[in-house]
Amino acid sequence: MGFFSPWFLAGFLAVGLPIYIHLLQQHKTTPLPFSSLMFFERRTQSSVKHRRLKYLLLFAMRVALLILLALAFANLYVSCARPAGATGNKLSIVAIDNSFSMRAGDRFEQARRGALGVLAALRPGDTAQIIAFDSRVQILTQPIEDAGALRSAVQSLQPGDGRSSYGELSRALRSLAQASRIPVEAHVFTDIQRTSLPVPFSELAVDSNTRLVVHPVARRTEPNWFVETVNAPPAIYQPNKVRIQATVAGAGTEAATLRASLALNGNVVESREVAVAAGGRATAEFFLNEAPYGLNRGEVRIESRDRLPADDRFPFSIERKEASRILFVHEARNSRAVLYYRAAIEASPDSGFSVESVTADQAANLDPKKFAIVVLSDVAALPGALEASLNSYVNQGGSVLISLGPAAATRSRVRVFEEALAGTSYAARSGDRFQTAASVDASHPALELVNHFEGVKFFQAVRVTPGKARILARLTDDTPLVLEKKAGDGRILVFASTFDNVSNDLPLHASFVPFVQRSAQYLSGFDSTPGHFPVGSHADLRSAREAATAVEVVAPGGGRALSLREAATARSFELAREGFYEVRRGSNRNELLAVHADRRESNLDVVPQETLALWQNAGDGPQGAGGPAEPGERRVGLWWYFALALLAMAIVESVVASRYLSVEREAGAAAAGRRAA
Amino acid sequence: MTAVLQRYLDPSVLASISGLELIAKTVVEGFIAGLHRSPDFGFSQEFAEYRAYTEGDDLRHVDWNVYARTERAYLKRYRGETNTQLTMLLDASNSMTFGSHQVNKLEYAKYLAASVCYLAGHQRDAAGIIVFDDDIRNYVQPSSRQGQLHRMLHAIGKAVPGKRTNFAKPFLHCQQFLHRRGMIVVISDFYEAAGRVIKAIEPLRYHGNEVVLFHVLDPQEIQPSLKQPALLIDMETDDAIEVTPDYVRHEYRSRIDGHISALREGAIRAGIDYFLLPTDRPLDEGLREYLTIRQGRM
Repeated sequence: MGFFSPWFLAGFLAVGLPIYIHLLQQHKTTPLPFSSLMFFERRTQSSVKHRRLKYLLLFAMRVALLILLALAFANLYVSCARPAGATGNKLSIVAIDNSFSMRAGDRFEQARRGALGVLAALRPGDTAQIIAFDSRVQILTQPIEDAGALRSAVQSLQPGDGRSSYGELSRALRSLAQASRIPVEAHVFTDIQRTSLPVPFSELAVDSNTRLVVHPVARRTEPNWFVETVNAPPAIYQPNKVRIQATVAGAGTEAATLRASLALNGNVVESREVAVAAGGRATAEFFLNEAPYGLNRGEVRIESRDRLPADDRFPFSIERKEASRILFVHEARNSRAVLYYRAAIEASPDSGFSVESVTADQAANLDPKKFAIVVLSDVAALPGALEASLNSYVNQGGSVLISLGPAAATRSRVRVFEEALAGTSYAARSGDRFQTAASVDASHPALELVNHFEGVKFFQAVRVTPGKARILARLTDDTPLVLEKKAGDGRILVFASTFDNVSNDLPLHASFVPFVQRSAQYLSGFDSTPGHFPVGSHADLRSAREAATAVEVVAPGGGRALSLREAATARSFELAREGFYEVRRGSNRNELLAVHADRRESNLDVVPQETLALWQNAGDGPQGAGGPAEPGERRVGLWWYFALALLAMAIVESVVASRYLSVEREAGAAAAGRRAA
Repeated sequence: MTAVLQRYLDPSVLASISGLELIAKTVVEGFIAGLHRSPDFGFSQEFAEYRAYTEGDDLRHVDWNVYARTERAYLKRYRGETNTQLTMLLDASNSMTFGSHQVNKLEYAKYLAASVCYLAGHQRDAAGIIVFDDDIRNYVQPSSRQGQLHRMLHAIGKAVPGKRTNFAKPFLHCQQFLHRRGMIVVISDFYEAAGRVIKAIEPLRYHGNEVVLFHVLDPQEIQPSLKQPALLIDMETDDAIEVTPDYVRHEYRSRIDGHISALREGAIRAGIDYFLLPTDRPLDEGLREYLTIRQGRM
């Protein structure tokens, strides 16, 4: 006998309420002087006592009502012996951990053997289901009785590269148990990694009709060295030395000196010794002198003799390519703007851009499509051919950055942007009559690092009628400072001042470089993807602009990761395995995605026995209350009977309460009693 | 005019008048004005009866005309001369102070006593008063002398609530000191068993006295209305009993009705006049009762 939900017994405390109402809150009467009590007998008191008897009866019923309510919710059960030879009344779920850490030693083989042992112990007619789990649960079979199909599902299972999550497993077990009408016995084969426990322990709870049996394949913490991370630039544009840093760590290890190597495309480039403290980490630094053009497969390896060699290498990708070109068009007499703009672009060697400056006349014969973006820096007049080619360039997905100054203000409308000019606002530098940025949309990629143009003085700004454009920043006099407009597939960004330190002092402020670089990256669609991803990440395959372009993904083993349908339509895909994924897009735009296992899997620290016992107890329905049900016994909940008793008690209580409160009826009965006497 | 004067018989109106004599005068004159229309009542110097002369009678009252015709001496008596002796017993126990409206029972009893005294004085009746609770608190010997009315009104006005009621002592006193037959008016709430009350009063009746019981009760004592259970405190004994509204509504009412009936029936059996006077009723009913009985004595 026990309770499925014993914490509802706390409802007994509610008994205090009728005790307070009936007993503690005494009936008070108002004292009234009366001429004589000779016509009031002590019988009056007895009448009150009689009423108090009913009062006590009502009190007792109300207390019983609350106790029954608490018992109904606490769900009292009795254990009954299950009829001998009964079959088909239990579902065995065999859950096998196939996370990355199961690659250590013979853990996975142990798990497989244990699972086969559970299947062998099933009686004819018992149903079983095989599931595998890491960070997600994979259902390998439905609940079936076919022992052969169950065994082959177990034998076909291989360890993966994902990270195990017991919280996810418990959620899946809850769902499966709720779908099952019969008791569930879940056998979990895992290496009981401590890092796989969810933060709230309550997530480990499983359904009430589930008995959880954990079969650990690892009993103690094993030492393990691993490459924790590699810090390498995803792309290099110049033939300079590239610094690559790798972090080597140990979990449960003693102090040791390991040999770390940097390999590029399978060839070891550099090796060095790394001293790792006990259970600590160390950094190995490599310098890559020369990398071939194109996509390169990098790897940092260590030589360790632990039981999990799979995490002794860390893949990363590095691409050697030419910098994207920016066409900077300016007036012949104004060369200051290009000076500042180029300096800002080249401030970071990894910006990936080079600036080509031309005057408006020189640009007439250039094809804008050869450039990542085009910058029109305070240009008064554009050659007709250039304006036409720029319009075409933008419509086909190109991007233009326009800065407006005194030259551009002589026109009535902004070229390419195709919006009218409403005038200019001037302020002399000698006085303090400058404007500052009043409102800046810091969520926009081009402006997220400009720090609201803090401290920048704008002496001249050209007032542009926004039209269909979106205003990203305004000056204090409400003049739009930065505007964006989409035209066709492309974008146009307008900066209503100049880059020349004349109309403003922006080039002298810290916000200038991030504004120039971020706006160039945003307009060119340059995406600084990292050089490596953890397993389970998702990679973007195509943008809206590339919807019609087929994308091919080659998995680490060399096979195709996507079906034909997915290759034509999928926007993203999951990086499920460790290694290099090659993403081939149209126009020879390929990417190499290096994927590594989550390094939390490399910590082979096991769950303490008491925690494990707690989890298993939590897996016996009435958590921690009656303990697990013994095999061959069945628990029958009695809440239904308590609910019926509750209903009956409520009806009787209503009758007694109504009789108690009916003064007239009682008075009539009392009068009848007197007449009879 | 009569209606206006009758209004002054309302106890709640009388309560606003200061001075017991003025109250009594107001009551009696209002009452008398209402009586002039009635042929049954009168108290002027009308001829009442002839009585044979006995030795010692005042010769001035001999009807010499009758003597001339019949040679027998008869005394001619008038109504005004058929004065009687009135003894009033006023209960001033603590229970008489109960009242649920402007006038409590003791005040009502005082008004009644004062009015009867005034009326008696007006008719040149000898009147006296005994104020009692569980003992004799004040005694004014019956007399028709000048100033008797003021002495009685003073005694009535001075009556203060005493302790418990005991009928035995005042009636024993009456038996000892009343040598002349007359009227005895008892004004009380009679919170005593009806049998005991009648037993205490009955001996007076045997002596040829006319006894009138004015039973003064508050309306709340006859038909109490209790909304919720209450703890009632006895004003004389300080006993406390918790009662419920339904008990008061049914049991108590039947008991008080039974008590009144028993008192009335006991009084009738003993030849005593009984009159129930709720304190919300006009005082003239008490006076009418007094005069009816007095007329019966003549």
